[in-house]
Amino acid sequence: MSIATMYGSTEQLRLRSARPSFAGIVYGEIFKVSRQWLTWVMFVLWLGAMCMPAVFMIAADGTGSALLQTPPGFYYRFMEYDLEVLRAFVGIFLIIVTANVIGLEYQLGTIRIQLARGIGRIQLLSAKLLAIVIIALALFVFDIVLQGLLTLAVAGIVTGNFDTLRTLTPAFWSATEDYMLSTLISMGATILMAACMSVAGRSLSIGLSAALAWFPLDNVGLPLMLVLASKVTHSNFWLNVIYYFLGPNLNGLGAALLPAKAPVKAVLSIFPLPDLTSTHALLVILAYSAVFSVTAFVLTWKRDVKE
Amino acid sequence: MFDTLMAAPGTGTARPHSGAIVLQTHNLSKRYAQRLAVNNLNLAVRQGEIFGFLGPNGAGKTTTIRMLLGLIAPTAGSVEILGQDLVTQRARILPRVGALIETPALYPYMSGRDNLRAFGFLLGGVPEKRIDAVLEIVGLRARQKDRVRTYSLGMKQRLGVAVALLHDPDVLILDEPANGLDPAGIVEMRDLMHRLTAEGKTILFSSHLLTEVQQICTRVAIINLGQLVTETTVEDLVRGQGEFTVTLERPQEALALIRSQPWGMNARLDTSNALITPAPSGRGRDLILFLSSAGFVPDTVTQTTHDLEQVFLRLTNNGSGDVK
Repeated sequence: MSIATMYGSTEQLRLRSARPSFAGIVYGEIFKVSRQWLTWVMFVLWLGAMCMPAVFMIAADGTGSALLQTPPGFYYRFMEYDLEVLRAFVGIFLIIVTANVIGLEYQLGTIRIQLARGIGRIQLLSAKLLAIVIIALALFVFDIVLQGLLTLAVAGIVTGNFDTLRTLTPAFWSATEDYMLSTLISMGATILMAACMSVAGRSLSIGLSAALAWFPLDNVGLPLMLVLASKVTHSNFWLNVIYYFLGPNLNGLGAALLPAKAPVKAVLSIFPLPDLTSTHALLVILAYSAVFSVTAFVLTWKRDVKE
Repeated sequence: MFDTLMAAPGTGTARPHSGAIVLQTHNLSKRYAQRLAVNNLNLAVRQGEIFGFLGPNGAGKTTTIRMLLGLIAPTAGSVEILGQDLVTQRARILPRVGALIETPALYPYMSGRDNLRAFGFLLGGVPEKRIDAVLEIVGLRARQKDRVRTYSLGMKQRLGVAVALLHDPDVLILDEPANGLDPAGIVEMRDLMHRLTAEGKTILFSSHLLTEVQQICTRVAIINLGQLVTETTVEDLVRGQGEFTVTLERPQEALALIRSQPWGMNARLDTSNALITPAPSGRGRDLILFLSSAGFVPDTVTQTTHDLEQVFLRLTNNGSGDVK
């Protein structure tokens, strides 16, 4: 049978001279995430969690009076609720996405196809992390836009106008920015933790299990044991150890960033850290993030791929 | 399957001259703790050949293939592909290598076409026409939109081959490509490999189907316990040790005569009473002259050959033992 050209010579030339492409890898990772039904199921659940409170507020009888009596307090609670939902939900979402983007490649063995194309190991992990960061930022921006629209909808429908929004002071916007920053930091640390677990576990199952178990252990399990140890030994030393756990620092960071500005400072933590400062929290989070990053990159770089 | 033709070769990157060595290992070794999985392996694969890479389970084949693809770091030695060192030129040479390693690694939640797109993005994307072409080559056009989790093992194997062909590579490393294929699929795979080498592509081919290897490979390397046992042409490997099979009348008498000669002490009769014998000075012509002059005119004289399976088992001590 004779040989024929299947595509143009320019395309063939490009194909045959192709080299590993960082942008291509990033795009490919986003492409793969977009093809997973779980991504869209979680997105819909998150939309529900975001929108339902606004729907209930609009439907509830007392919302109008609460909004008219103390508009800043109402908007603070609304903003805090949104960012806490975002942080908690997106945290789980990012753990699942990260475990899929990194751990699933080991589990399916597709990591060997990727690396056998000439892609560097560090290049591959960096591209995967960037893809996850882009997804996280897209979710974050979407959340902010949606939250703005929901706030306008609640204000407009409940009071019939947007006058209450004029009562929002620069302090409110500053507090919102601080909370947004704490949410972004939390998202970043979560991505690095899940990446580290997935690389170390070399599978979706192990990476996902370890990453999902981290925060319950970090926020509840270990602190509970330390509280018990403190009671038994009558020593505060054990309680101080909690200040060096990742989860409690992430939970407390938002409140620590705005000590005096906000009238409401909800902290979603079973063991809140009353003396937590933003500097301490940031240093602890940075240290954990550094350890997660170094572990993930060194293991990826040094280990043989036997999958 | 495999009806559609491959892209024309020769454009883009420079190809080595025919017969040039395109893949070479230099004293390649890999040690795992106390176990030496690959020991000072020296292979040389030439352009345009189908090179069979054989060995029993645990011989070090997969470890070697993984070292060829940069997945496992050698403890010692080096790999050269297309004349360039794998370690220093990895990003330049590995895109020119297509590989199917053991079971096909694919994304089961995506369609066959999306799998090809996803792997294509690694090198900056692949034109849709090229995806059409490789799907046609492996006979998966009709199932391209189905999720891979619904594919049979044979279909996954075909898609794995499509992934390997996606970037029109110069060198193909195929580890058990016939896994899961039905007999027709195996024949088509064989045909595809012949057509790929006709285009100047080089194939390193590992398989347990020794009859397949015998049919399609030009040269083979056999390794056992991490060491190279032999690297030669299939023809040389299966050729008997200078023996001939002779059919003639009165074979018992002819056998007695030959055994009386210093060169014929190993002569014997096989189950069909054919005479298996060496020849004086190793040449068939001299054997015919000797027998004819003694009144035993042969009906047929053929050089004895062994099948690759027998040779493989002998060289690897029945596929598991020490190197002979």
